[in-house]
Amino acid sequence: MSLEQKVRSYILESFLFTDDQSVLDNADSLMGKGIIDSTGTLELISFLEEHFGVKVEDEDMVPENLDSVNKIMAFLQRKQVSH
Amino acid sequence: MPLSLTLRLQESAMCRPDAEALVHGEQRLSYRELWQQVLAVAAFLRNQGLEPRARVALLLNNSTAYVSAYYGVLAAGGVVVALNTAAKAVDLSNWLAHCDASWLILDARHAEAGAVSEWCRGRVNVVVVNGAVEATHAWQDVLTTEAAPDVVPVTPDALAAIIYTSGTTGRPKGVMLSHGNLTTNVESILAYLGLRNSDRILNVLPFYYSYGNSVLHTHLAVGGCVVIEDNLAYPHRVMQRLSSERATGFSGVPSTFALLLSRVKLEDYALSSLRYLTQAGGPMPPANIERLRKALPQVRLFIMYGQTEATARLSFLPPERLHDKLGSIGVAIPGVTLDVRNDQGVSAAPNEVGEIWAYGGNIMPGYWNDPEATRAVLHNGWLRTGDMAYRDVDGYFFIQGRKTEMIKSGAHRIHPKEIEEAIAELDGVGEVAVVGVPDEILGQVIKAYILPKPGVTLDPLQVKAHCHKRLASYKIPKSVEFVTELPKTASGKIKKFLLATTTA
Repeated sequence: MSLEQKVRSYILESFLFTDDQSVLDNADSLMGKGIIDSTGTLELISFLEEHFGVKVEDEDMVPENLDSVNKIMAFLQRKQVSH
Repeated sequence: MPLSLTLRLQESAMCRPDAEALVHGEQRLSYRELWQQVLAVAAFLRNQGLEPRARVALLLNNSTAYVSAYYGVLAAGGVVVALNTAAKAVDLSNWLAHCDASWLILDARHAEAGAVSEWCRGRVNVVVVNGAVEATHAWQDVLTTEAAPDVVPVTPDALAAIIYTSGTTGRPKGVMLSHGNLTTNVESILAYLGLRNSDRILNVLPFYYSYGNSVLHTHLAVGGCVVIEDNLAYPHRVMQRLSSERATGFSGVPSTFALLLSRVKLEDYALSSLRYLTQAGGPMPPANIERLRKALPQVRLFIMYGQTEATARLSFLPPERLHDKLGSIGVAIPGVTLDVRNDQGVSAAPNEVGEIWAYGGNIMPGYWNDPEATRAVLHNGWLRTGDMAYRDVDGYFFIQGRKTEMIKSGAHRIHPKEIEEAIAELDGVGEVAVVGVPDEILGQVIKAYILPKPGVTLDPLQVKAHCHKRLASYKIPKSVEFVTELPKTASGKIKKFLLATTTA
């Protein structure tokens, strides 16, 4: 499964309770669309740390890194390159 | 008699017109600007013929518009019904019908805005903030209405607000609060928190709940400033904001602090202005209280307890007693009497567990249009809280549990029956029991036990997807377990206490 598929299926299953790919656009704002709330963000971070071997630091926890599938993918790629 | 909330706001606007009242993102509103907006909203509603006691509902997230609308409705002599913005259209329309709202002020960006404004057509007049919907009024036009010359005078017993709390779809529970309730509770809170006009609070609590509501009113009543922070999703940002806004105060429920403590090092931030923290909305684990005290030793931490039915606040633990009374909800706030009573309604002896009864000017007159539910909790002016506790020999109260099976998850009080009703709609569900199970961050999370009908196989995702359609997101079960039988008493009642001891 590609990185994109892994992130998408986690969000679809955990927060939208579906496998219907059409309900989530990679550019959708997860907070803005009410897909994820504050505890959901924590769960998302735990998922990223567990499945992609990255450490999400305090200063990484910003919407620019986490608020859409596209942003998460870009963040993961940056993190994985820097390690 | 203390001044009403609107008159106190007017006083702040006259004494400190240029002081900051509200900050939200890039927006900064002075008391003069806020008061002008309040008078414009009041004038608009009065020009439209708003009757005294008419209900005006708000479907707005925390924002400057929320505050202008709230105080504008009060200044026009109306009753504010601030709706839970996490709710779905079915509950929202249910509440609007139940309180017979004549107006709704809603944010066009709300996920249910379309469905709700459609429902309102021909029933409820609508004002739309942040957008346009056909056959409604625009918020911008409301704000440019020539200001009303004054506020509509009210008596302390006049109804000011209705807050819908943890009822079920079939039976909404609207807590009525009078102007006297609101001002009395504000005065009590100001007395023990010692708030002043130099105070600035960073607020993450929803204003539509009683806790956020009281944070808002107390700070505006002293001429302080409320900095609105939209959410807690990015704890680092919240801490930076606390520092850059030189906030003197911060309020949260146990999960707010659990979340912050789990993700950031509080001691790493420059918080020299921070003077007080308040915590209410359920018991905070003593370990987290200790961690907060250690990380922020210069900050006064107030542990508090209350209920929507008591406007917000009933008790507080003085910070200097935190150490020797750890785990206590403290003593009654000024103007409130608390008692622990047994099943016969007789005061219990020290250290004996009973139900907390409360008396004071902050106790609601009852539930909207529901004398039966009102009779169940109000007795000669005393409120039966449903919370079980004991009082130690020094008069400090310690909560021991709840009489009802209400679930408390994060800031939310949730009636399990509402979720059970939703799940029972699914084909193939034989029986269902919903309970709260312990969770480190949220206090409790929702777990559903389902006994499928014979020969039927159900999928947890299918159950959650159905709940997602029907219920606010915080009411969706975190976990779903299928069972072959549910533990029952001899009379056939499900033994929920056995289910609630498991994990998610």
